[in-house]
Amino acid sequence: MERLLAIWIKELSVEAPDGSTLRTAISLIDALQIICPFTEVIRLGLFVLPIRGPSRFYGGDEGVLNAVSQCVKEVSGFTPSLGVGEGLFCAEVAAKQQVLLPPGTSDFFRNALPLEYLERKDLATTCHRLGLHTIGAFAALEPARIGERFNKHALVLHAVARGQLSELPGQRDVKLGQRLREERGEGPALDEQTGFFGQRGASDQRAEAAAHRVRRRLGVDAVLSASLQGGRSPEDRATLMPWGSPEARSTPEAPWPGVIGAPSPATTFSEPVGVQLRNSDDENVAVLSRGLLNADPSTLVFSSAARRHIVWFAGPWPVLERWWQTGRKRAHLQVLLEGGEALLLSSEKNRWWLVGIYD
Amino acid sequence: MVPRGGLRRGTTVVVNARPGTGGLSLALSLLSGPSANGHWSGVIGVDDPGVVAAHELGLDLRRVLFIPRPRGAWVETAGDLMDGVDLLLVRPPSKASHGAARKIMDRVRERGTVLIALCDANATWPLPADVSFDITQSQWSASSKLDARHLTLRVSGRGEVQRSG
Repeated sequence: MERLLAIWIKELSVEAPDGSTLRTAISLIDALQIICPFTEVIRLGLFVLPIRGPSRFYGGDEGVLNAVSQCVKEVSGFTPSLGVGEGLFCAEVAAKQQVLLPPGTSDFFRNALPLEYLERKDLATTCHRLGLHTIGAFAALEPARIGERFNKHALVLHAVARGQLSELPGQRDVKLGQRLREERGEGPALDEQTGFFGQRGASDQRAEAAAHRVRRRLGVDAVLSASLQGGRSPEDRATLMPWGSPEARSTPEAPWPGVIGAPSPATTFSEPVGVQLRNSDDENVAVLSRGLLNADPSTLVFSSAARRHIVWFAGPWPVLERWWQTGRKRAHLQVLLEGGEALLLSSEKNRWWLVGIYD
Repeated sequence: MVPRGGLRRGTTVVVNARPGTGGLSLALSLLSGPSANGHWSGVIGVDDPGVVAAHELGLDLRRVLFIPRPRGAWVETAGDLMDGVDLLLVRPPSKASHGAARKIMDRVRERGTVLIALCDANATWPLPADVSFDITQSQWSASSKLDARHLTLRVSGRGEVQRSG
């Protein structure tokens, strides 16, 4: 996680009705970008910059802190609270407490913080009842237990607590960038201007016409469009639906437990292919109830009886999320074949399926 | 990676790869830059596209039309899409004929589309392309899971310098 210098200026965190807060923020960002071109404003009163580069230039973290502190005082007249930590969440807390966390110590710092820092009263209350009082204690809960006990917001907070996500939901004011551009008299950013969901541009209409031509030739189900949603595995997360069907609600950001992470297989079978997994004695390999394999897999056998030697494997990763609702208990396994092909397998009820190819 | 620093309109890029060596990921990643910049793409003949992988490689899924099973009509389907998308990724079901390849490449040039043809190393694209990538080596780096794949490519094309990397 990136080491960030956070700059907290309490006086600028509440917007004055005369627009002066936005103007000061703009002057500050311009001035701070001379120290570090990657400085950004997270929300009113909070600025961050990655400290690694400037630290080299200023001969250490202290040098950067001095330069930034002086810059803020000169431009705004306010004295900032500065702090350094890994990831936005730790960096902001560090700034408010005015501490400089040395590299590699942010996890300890975060783990020791009271749960209230996650800024969800309901979660803190529930955790206190369970005897959990620090972020570290909450982080130590199994992700699957979170899904059981808490709502989906808790999954995001849990990922922050574990250091898998760097910022809290709502920590960043997503509309601020646009407001600052407007204050500067600039138009919207290009990508926002050509938004697909707003007015449809000429290129969208051309694409739509092309999709209709293909549908007339091949049938209404021939053209598909894709979207993502939260899910445990590539085949669960992806939805391919006939083009033109109403959009599925998608929440790709939700950090579902059990997701193996990038890279995902470029081929993901809509209908998994049954395969067999054998150990070196040609016996079937199974996933035990504890989530481990009973033996190392050595051969993959296809229904065509073709056999391929396995040179490496990783997993199994249990797919536990909501198994008590669906009754499904699955595990994923990555295998690398002798020829260099990598495959994603899935096990369910002692049967193995080929679900994807890292093609 | 692409000689002259980017895909040019009206050109054909060919990716030749043995199945399972990363050809599809490479072909999808060629779409990602323009896709992220708002250009429409069509993906023809990729039967079971890994949507999550496409997203990870940088495609904007809102502007991708997938035609996984064009049946026997992949050439005609490519023609249908040509006017509507800026990039076309085509995986022919078997070795493309001279005539089909010629027809598509001519239309691509005429319309200013970019064609990316993904072919099996045993059934390569029958005509010289503007740029060809041949995957000569594919190696995984792994820790507790597969982390990344490193491809060695032979890059060739009309009037281009040969190189690998």
